[in-house]
Amino acid sequence: MGVIGYGLGVIGAGLAIGLAAFGATSAMARQPEVQGRAFTVFILASAFTEALGLIGFVVTLIS
Amino acid sequence: MDAFAKLPEEINHLVSEFSSAPVVGDLTVGLTQYSFWLLVAAVVFAVVIFAFVKKQTLVPKGVFVNGVEYLIEYVENDVAKGVVGTGWRRHFPFLAAIFLFILVNNFIGLIPGMKPGTGAIGCTAALALVTFVYFVYYGCKKHGVLGYIKSLAPQGVMFPMNVFVWVIEVFSLLLRPITLAIRLFCNMFAGHIVMGSFSIMAALFAEPLLEHFSAMNAVGALPSVAWLIILLIIYAVELIVAFVQAYVFTVLAAVYIQIAESDEE
Repeated sequence: MGVIGYGLGVIGAGLAIGLAAFGATSAMARQPEVQGRAFTVFILASAFTEALGLIGFVVTLIS
Repeated sequence: MDAFAKLPEEINHLVSEFSSAPVVGDLTVGLTQYSFWLLVAAVVFAVVIFAFVKKQTLVPKGVFVNGVEYLIEYVENDVAKGVVGTGWRRHFPFLAAIFLFILVNNFIGLIPGMKPGTGAIGCTAALALVTFVYFVYYGCKKHGVLGYIKSLAPQGVMFPMNVFVWVIEVFSLLLRPITLAIRLFCNMFAGHIVMGSFSIMAALFAEPLLEHFSAMNAVGALPSVAWLIILLIIYAVELIVAFVQAYVFTVLAAVYIQIAESDEE
């Protein structure tokens, strides 16, 4: 049961990481000179959203 | 499949291996496996930094000195100057210490057989609490205690909404250390569990082949090659995560310090 809950919860995190990647790639395509800065921001944003998915993973394992 | 039948039991064993258990003493006064590796990391950290200070010359020479200097300058330029802005010099030692300590801990955990000190909630909670006390202290120093409490609410909001926004801001202030601690802990813990499960899968599929050599078993062991490749990829990702999590923790600490010290006019 917990595994199904984790699967449902990770949908949000997956969508969020996808959105972050979408934003980063389109920003890089429009303005290649901001590539370095955009990549750093993308890594930061995906670290935040990834943490949400991982919280679900750990809670599933512990409970 | 025989291998999949054994999997849940092995995973349960793995998870219980990763939860804090006392090696010496008990949980109140003692040494868990995490605090042991935390101490190891602290010793490694101290040795590296003292060796660096001793070897430092006017013109940096060699890979070691240049490498450590690069890391420290990275924190200085990217985090301290970039995020904190004016008055970064005062906060730079704190930020550099937190960054390097988490980095050393994360990388110690990646060596097979060792555990990351930051993979226990107690350690990350302590780090987050220190950060919380640090930025609240500097906020109070800058604005005064009452001034800091008042400065949590944004200026230019009408009276009744003001109080409402202030309550929300206080709530988010109290949530900051919790999210800092949980983010780092979950990343380290979950990453190691995932690596552990893939190595268990690789071992389980190859097990029949090692016990008894036959064509059937050799075909059955083929998936373990795939698991090994996935394990290597996840290991590479974990190398990035170890760095990124130290960076994220430091950047967030810098952002919180900057928010606490900023004067909103």
